[in-house]
Amino acid sequence: MEEYRCIDFGKVDIRNMMAMNEAIHRCDEGNTLFFWAPTKSIILGYFQKAEVELDLTQCEEYTIVRRTSGGGIAFSDDLDRQINYGVVGTIDEDKFPLDIVESYQQICGILIDTLKEYGLNAAFRPINDVTVDNKKISGNAMTRRDGKTLQHGTLLLDFDIKEMLRISNIPKEKIMDKQIKSIEQGMTWMDKELGRKEDMETVKRKIRKNFEKRFDVNLVDSDPSKKEEAMARELLPKYQSDEWTYKR
Amino acid sequence: MVFEDYLKGIYKSKGGIIRSFLKVDKGKITDITFSGDFFLLPEDAIDLITQRLIGTDTEKDSIRYVVEDVYKTEKILSPGTTPEDFTRSIMQAIGGT
Repeated sequence: MEEYRCIDFGKVDIRNMMAMNEAIHRCDEGNTLFFWAPTKSIILGYFQKAEVELDLTQCEEYTIVRRTSGGGIAFSDDLDRQINYGVVGTIDEDKFPLDIVESYQQICGILIDTLKEYGLNAAFRPINDVTVDNKKISGNAMTRRDGKTLQHGTLLLDFDIKEMLRISNIPKEKIMDKQIKSIEQGMTWMDKELGRKEDMETVKRKIRKNFEKRFDVNLVDSDPSKKEEAMARELLPKYQSDEWTYKR
Repeated sequence: MVFEDYLKGIYKSKGGIIRSFLKVDKGKITDITFSGDFFLLPEDAIDLITQRLIGTDTEKDSIRYVVEDVYKTEKILSPGTTPEDFTRSIMQAIGGT
C-alpha cells in the first residue's frame, strides 16, 4: 500500500510553523499529513491586512503572522483546544483533484468522517467549511504551487467567542450579548456538541485513521527531512518580518 | 482610523468579503488595495490586479474589464469570487453601484 508521511509538530511558535508549512509545500518529500498545536496566535489569510481586520491595541499577547493561503483569520486562544492540521499532496485528479471545491471536499471529508464517528451531524459546506447541524466547526484554507496542494485548517474542540471579538476590529460598543448570540448560532465546537471534553490525542488518532481509509494509504510517523528543516530556517525571517505580516 | 483618507468599499462575495480602499483623482484610480477573507490563486496575482487598476477610469465597465483581463492572463482561480465581485466592492467605494 502507498505510504504518506505523518508528522506531529506538537506545540510550536506559529512563525516557525508557517515557515515549515511553506517548506513542506515547496520541498518534494512526498504526500504528508501533519499536525501542530499553536501558541496564542492569530494567523491572517494572505489577503487580510492586520490593521483592517484586528484591533491591534488588544493583540499584544498574540503572535501575529500571515500565511500563504487566502481565507480568514485563524485565531488560537490559550484554551489549547483546537486541532490544527495540514495536508500536502500532488494534484492527481483522484486524491487531490484540480477542482478547488472538490479538493476541499476530499480533505474535509476526513474531518466529517471523524465527527460522524462521534454521532455528530457533520457536513461539507462549500467552499471550505465543515459544519455540525449547519454551524461551522472547522475552517480550512488551500493554496497551490508546483502541482501540489497545501490545505490547512482547524477543528475546534473549544472556542472563546468573546476573546475573538475582543481582538477583532469591530467597534467595541457593538459587542453586545446580541452579537455574541448571533455568532454562537453560527459556530460550534466538539466539547459543546458532545457535552464533555474529548481527549485531543484520541480525536487526532481518529483523523489519522480516517485519512488512511479515505486515501487508501498507510501513514508513517515521520520527522521533517533535513531539506525541509533547512528551508524552514531559510523562510523563517520572512514570517518574523513586519514587512510580510503587516504588508499593505 | 485605518486608511483614513481612502474611499472604502465592502462587498461580500460567496467566496468571502472583499474590502477595497482607494484614492481617486480626476476620474481615475490613483491608489488601491484590498483586504478580505476571499481566495485567489495564484495569490500574488492580486498585485497585478491592483497595479493594473491604478490609472483606470472610475467607470464600472473599465474596472470590470481590467479585473477580467488579469483573471484571463494569470489564469486566476477564485472559487466563489468573480471579477464582478471585485468591481462591486470598488464601485461601492467610488459611490456608484
